[in-house]
Amino acid sequence: MATLETAVASPSGAEAVDSLALGLPDFSSDVYKDAYSRINAIVIEGEQEAHDNYISIGTLIPEQAEELSRLARMELKHMRGFTACANNLGVTADMPFAKQFFSPLHQNFQTALGEGKVVTCLLIQAILIEAFAISAYHIYIPVADPFARKITEGVVKDEYTHLNYGQEWLKANLDTAREELEQANRQNLPLVRKMLEQVSADASVLQMEQEDLMADFLSSYQEALVEVGFTNREIAKMAAAALVG
Amino acid sequence: MFGLIGHSTSFEEARHKARSLGFEEYADGDLDMWCSAPPQLVERVSVSSPTGKTIQGAYIDSVFVPEMLRRFKTAKRKVIKAMELAQKSGINITALGGFTSIIFEDFNLLKEERVSATALDWQRFTTGNTHTAWVICRQVEENASKLGINLATAKVAVVGASGDIGSACCRWLQRSGVAELLLVARRPQPLVDLQASLGSGRILALEEALAEADVVVWVASLPQGLTIEASSLRKPCLMVDGGYPKNLDSKVVSDDVHVLKGGIVEFWQDIGWQMMEVAEMAKPQRQMFACFAEAMILDFEARHTNFSWGRNNISLESMDWVGEASLRHGFRALGLEQASPPSPGAVPAAV
Repeated sequence: MATLETAVASPSGAEAVDSLALGLPDFSSDVYKDAYSRINAIVIEGEQEAHDNYISIGTLIPEQAEELSRLARMELKHMRGFTACANNLGVTADMPFAKQFFSPLHQNFQTALGEGKVVTCLLIQAILIEAFAISAYHIYIPVADPFARKITEGVVKDEYTHLNYGQEWLKANLDTAREELEQANRQNLPLVRKMLEQVSADASVLQMEQEDLMADFLSSYQEALVEVGFTNREIAKMAAAALVG
Repeated sequence: MFGLIGHSTSFEEARHKARSLGFEEYADGDLDMWCSAPPQLVERVSVSSPTGKTIQGAYIDSVFVPEMLRRFKTAKRKVIKAMELAQKSGINITALGGFTSIIFEDFNLLKEERVSATALDWQRFTTGNTHTAWVICRQVEENASKLGINLATAKVAVVGASGDIGSACCRWLQRSGVAELLLVARRPQPLVDLQASLGSGRILALEEALAEADVVVWVASLPQGLTIEASSLRKPCLMVDGGYPKNLDSKVVSDDVHVLKGGIVEFWQDIGWQMMEVAEMAKPQRQMFACFAEAMILDFEARHTNFSWGRNNISLESMDWVGEASLRHGFRALGLEQASPPSPGAVPAAV
């Protein structure tokens, strides 16, 4: 029910036009390359860990091992694509930073794996990380260099397949998985926000704003949980763990 | 299925609502947290028309609050995300309530490239402005006579005349035979254009128009710090507050000035929903914003299209159509006898 001429809306609208007119970042600048060395490393490390994680999950559900290994191979392909993106810009990915960046989530995954907790493993890899990747890639695509843009567009399509895999498995097993899912959510969702905060300055250089990343991630995450079979109210509460945790 | 996208009227109110609905985590969160929070499908309802037709609907809270208006990107994202959620929930026609349609139009979201990963189907959304304009006009016509104001000899001021709703009201009231339209808006050129298209109406400053008007239709947000001298108004005076938020009744208190909440309709029977409790409706189980009712009407009529869209596209024909459908499906415009009296503690603005 719009009424009118909006004293409030117009001034901020005018400001925004200026910021939009700024256009794409300077991909060849040192500032950009420096930030890119860490963001790109995170993506490469993320794809590598995704590969390893899917192979590991296959050991917990052997009847799915073949399908999981197919997903894992896709992640390796993505990793090579993103490595090419760094080469294209003449950037060396800061892999030690990326390993450190992923270590809390990596540790939680390894602990769950050791305990045979397939639900937790799937939540971390197939839901949390995939939902995050999808939303981050979507935000990245419009501000990426032309080479990386093409690679990333191809990757996003695959990641939906992976998210879908996790959703379907958890949906089929929701009755027994519910409690563990809620606990895994509480343990791991706050980590995503902390990880985001760590790289917000670098992401901002790439013209990806933290608030957008968080909001888009939570939307994708919520959608995935709807598919799994949680009610809207349950999901709102679960998602809040990312915001206040 | 119909959908309604709404939001709280303030951050404080939003937190209060979150607490009352059992979302403690949100109630305790700060504004930054709310900026990142995704939209929520809060409630599903089933609504039946006197024709016997029953439709299903959903209320989506965009988790936007007016405090976010200064954060352009946040406000934009809130609206788009809520629309995405509506579309993904399979809703055929969704009304953009409160500030959401203002943000959509004023920030030109339609023209934005790549606002989102999801391709939004604009056909699934309506601003609801056609029905809002019709309801406001109906409120003028029905209530003026109750106060002894004869529209055929009356002057009607439209504040915000060049806006989407305001211009539609002007065209309707002109056809209804109002003696004279007094046209008020902040920007001069659109007013001149409107006057030319109407072929009548007098452009005035707000104060000048208020001094002459028997009826004042407000479809503008009130300027901050606005004071209205009750003594300078004509007696009686009917004021229809079609702005958002509706705070005109706090500006004018006088026995001969009758302020009516504009663009509000009452349904013929109770709807089992919670959402209007917080919109400060006098009868929250039956009353709602006319823009929301438009989505219901379109769904009742199986007319799943962006009926109200863009700016200044509202025709008299579409107002006629939505008005007839509104009555057929059990809506009626809020009238003076239903309006809540001014609170006893209110201080007259003119004092």
